[in-house]
Amino acid sequence: MSDEHEPKKKSDRHDPSRRKFLKGVGVAGAGAALVDHIIAPDTGANTKKSIVAGQPVNGNVDIVLDVNGAKRNVSVEPRTTLLNALRNHLEPAVTGPKLVCDMGSCGACTVLMDGKNVYSCLVLAVDAVGKKLTTVEGFGTPEKMSAVQAAFVEHDGLMCGFCTPGFVTTISAFLKKNANPSLDEVREACKGNFCRCGTYPRVFEAALAAAKSSMRS
Amino acid sequence: MPQQPQAQPSPTPPKKKKVRVPRVVNGIEQMAEIEVDDVAGPGWGPHDKHTLLNHRITRVDGPLKVSGAAKYTYDVRLPNMLYGRVRRCPHAHAKIKKFDSSAAMRMPGVKAIIQAPVTEVRYAGAPVAAVAATTPELAQDAARAILVEYEVLPHVVTPDLAIKPNAPRVLPEAQPAPATPSGSPAPGTGGEDNLTQKAKQGDLQKVEAAFANCDAVVEAEYRTPRLHHCCLETHGMVVDFSGGETATIYATTQGTFTIPQDAARELGLQQSAVTATVQHMGGGFGSKFGIGIEGLMACRLSKETKSPVKLMLTRSDEFLMAGNRSGSWQKLKGGAKKDGTLVALQATQYRLGGVGQGSQAGQPYSVYRAGDFYREIYALHTNEDSAIAMRAPGHPQTSFAMESMLDELAYKIGMDPVAFRKKNMPDAMYHRQLDRAAREINWANRNATPGGGPGPLKRGIGCAAGTWGGGGNDQCKVDVTVGRDGSVTVAVGTQDLGTGTRTFTRAIVAEELGLGIKDVLEQIGNSKLGGANSSGGSTTAASLSPSVKDAAYKARMELAGKFSALLGNAKPEEIVFANGNVTGGGKSIAWKQACAVLPPAGIVAHGVWRSDLQSRGVHGVVFAEVEVDVETGKVRPIKMLQVQDGGLPLNRLTMESQINGGMIQGLGMALFETRVMDADLGLQVNPSFMDYKLPGCLEMPELIPLIDDEDKREVVIGIAEAAIIPAIGALANAVFNACGARIRELPITPDKVLMALAAERRSA
Repeated sequence: MSDEHEPKKKSDRHDPSRRKFLKGVGVAGAGAALVDHIIAPDTGANTKKSIVAGQPVNGNVDIVLDVNGAKRNVSVEPRTTLLNALRNHLEPAVTGPKLVCDMGSCGACTVLMDGKNVYSCLVLAVDAVGKKLTTVEGFGTPEKMSAVQAAFVEHDGLMCGFCTPGFVTTISAFLKKNANPSLDEVREACKGNFCRCGTYPRVFEAALAAAKSSMRS
Repeated sequence: MPQQPQAQPSPTPPKKKKVRVPRVVNGIEQMAEIEVDDVAGPGWGPHDKHTLLNHRITRVDGPLKVSGAAKYTYDVRLPNMLYGRVRRCPHAHAKIKKFDSSAAMRMPGVKAIIQAPVTEVRYAGAPVAAVAATTPELAQDAARAILVEYEVLPHVVTPDLAIKPNAPRVLPEAQPAPATPSGSPAPGTGGEDNLTQKAKQGDLQKVEAAFANCDAVVEAEYRTPRLHHCCLETHGMVVDFSGGETATIYATTQGTFTIPQDAARELGLQQSAVTATVQHMGGGFGSKFGIGIEGLMACRLSKETKSPVKLMLTRSDEFLMAGNRSGSWQKLKGGAKKDGTLVALQATQYRLGGVGQGSQAGQPYSVYRAGDFYREIYALHTNEDSAIAMRAPGHPQTSFAMESMLDELAYKIGMDPVAFRKKNMPDAMYHRQLDRAAREINWANRNATPGGGPGPLKRGIGCAAGTWGGGGNDQCKVDVTVGRDGSVTVAVGTQDLGTGTRTFTRAIVAEELGLGIKDVLEQIGNSKLGGANSSGGSTTAASLSPSVKDAAYKARMELAGKFSALLGNAKPEEIVFANGNVTGGGKSIAWKQACAVLPPAGIVAHGVWRSDLQSRGVHGVVFAEVEVDVETGKVRPIKMLQVQDGGLPLNRLTMESQINGGMIQGLGMALFETRVMDADLGLQVNPSFMDYKLPGCLEMPELIPLIDDEDKREVVIGIAEAAIIPAIGALANAVFNACGARIRELPITPDKVLMALAAERRSA
């Protein structure tokens, strides 16, 4: 990163831009000192701001997220992840995506952002503004399941179910790109999702069965 | 299904009989004798006569879970709820010298900070304080901002160093070890070294004499590392308390009924004023009993702030303070005759449970008979978080070592490893299971010469066997309510861990009443619904299903009495409930129509546990095929196949899933998972999913779960723990059969394979 070679100016220390924030996260893992720079001493309602392109942000910001086709207003700190915004700040909450590793290794928080699957624990809520977000709730309901969801139930592609929203989301996105995949392609597509109960073989079966049923219909 | 009439009420109390049942304490089974009624009642009947049970029933909570609608503890969000966060000690052994939370208290959003009741910390990661704040982010900031100063003390975190004479002492002198689950009930004390709980069994002189008459002797050390449960939903709870006289605890727990007592004490409430509930939970595997230190702190924060508090551990908290599977270090010496008889076994076994006692079944592993044996078992302590129960506590460790040693002996005397095992297995059910699995995986055509053949990719097959109890106990009280509108509800306080408890509970009632699975609703996971068991020791199915069956049977008999008038005064015991109709006296009436004659409140039948509907004792074998790349040391699992008995399979679909899950967790233990410690720093190097390697999509072999239908026992037995045990030994033995290198320390990673291959070449 060429940023690291820039001469350090004293004023940089209090530059609360997201660029500095992200750089800090990469280096220090969002340490307490960094936090002091980014949050205002008072996060009450009077400090809420809206995002203006190119302008630094601090304190709470009011943003609009487009979640499962609905525009949702929410006030978050700039450091709040999309996952935490969905789960802890939206009212009512969107809790299909699960917080499991909080570092982009397990896939339980997978959502679609403009149709592409992303780990929502690695996306800042403020960076999701203007994007179309789809969570597992967006694919179907218990009463009217999507083909992928129905195949998970039929093939028992779940046990405790905590990884399931992530797998359903990943596979739903994958089958849009590859309607008739092989088993190896399914494995490859899901390799960023963990399951601890041991549902993998039946998750694969469900994905292949969903592909078949979608091809037929 | 038998249609016996209900026993007539008798003026004398019912006959009693004594049965031995498992009592689960913190996930560890202990046997106890209890008295139960000895009266006639329902039976399951032959396995092939069921209309729902022993079939493939999709799980009833599946649609909720696949659509994100299932609410887990982690998903609970209440008005005015605060978020809790833990501050952990960064040293393996230290005294707290100074604690100052005043600056942290002044930070935005912070409502309360409590200090954990400890002055000396004996493992890195131990919680020293907790914060409640308005968002998780602010709670995290404040937890970091608490000032804690420590006096750092000497530590030891590896067994090899801990066993040395002058090693730093882990436990305080002459104090009982912390009360943690263990196979051994006697409390240990911190003696002059890090070894506690010394226990000996057998006659050493006899064993030594027996070795002199053996045709082959194998002497080797086997090690298994400490492992993590890695529940995807971390430990924690939401305490819904805002002052006042009652509280509700949303807990991710394997024991709904293990929560209210401790929570009530912390909140200063009566136990009956506290309700614990768990509707869905994201994995436990033995680690979620009781409120835990995190629950205790959540209650205190809630009490102090008079606000609901949600305290879920972070992933790194989970690795560092939520327990782990006991490691093991086993020195074995086994001797066999040329005909395959194991005649002598000597074992020195160390349970590696950190500051806890750890768990390890004694050698010889109880699947096998070993002639004369002598064993010493110790707890060897290190400055690490206490081991706690994890799926089949103590068994995978002992099984892996025993199965490896048996395999070594079989190769040494030149005997087929399956035949060798059978020779030493008193229980013939194993013989049948081994034969079937061997046929299915084409054992006869396995690699004849370990390490032989051209090219760097070597294939091999290995096998192993396991055993578990899986019996139930008399803790479940079940109500079946049938409404005038034909609605049927079955209510019980126990919890569904993802094993399919909800589904079989519904299915038992639906089958008894001749209804469909959707015609019955279950209520579970709430401490107000009547006493129930904790889900440990694979006891849930065998504890719950007999009570459900009893309640459903009693409901059917009561209904039959009430429906008799509609059916030409047919004898109640002759009325048939099937296909949504009640039939008798030459008439057939639809279920709903019949129920219209019920009183306005419907009927309620209370079920109690029936010991004759369950049993204990399951077997199970795994055969595994792997491919070893002798140039890179990489082991690729190709196929795993398990034959598993369990009496009556309540639901074939979910039972197969659970067998798959056992094999996959066994695969993780065999090839991937380990807690890595830095001996100098005293810290875990890999407390994250980035660095703790779990089995994933790309490592999945072909998995074949086979239910042993030759087991005709008309009883329910739990199989959850049995499912994980044999996979580990089978994989390790497959690696040897493939490449000729014996890896005696788990996990079998490429470095160990290459080292073992190099050692083989040197000795050849």
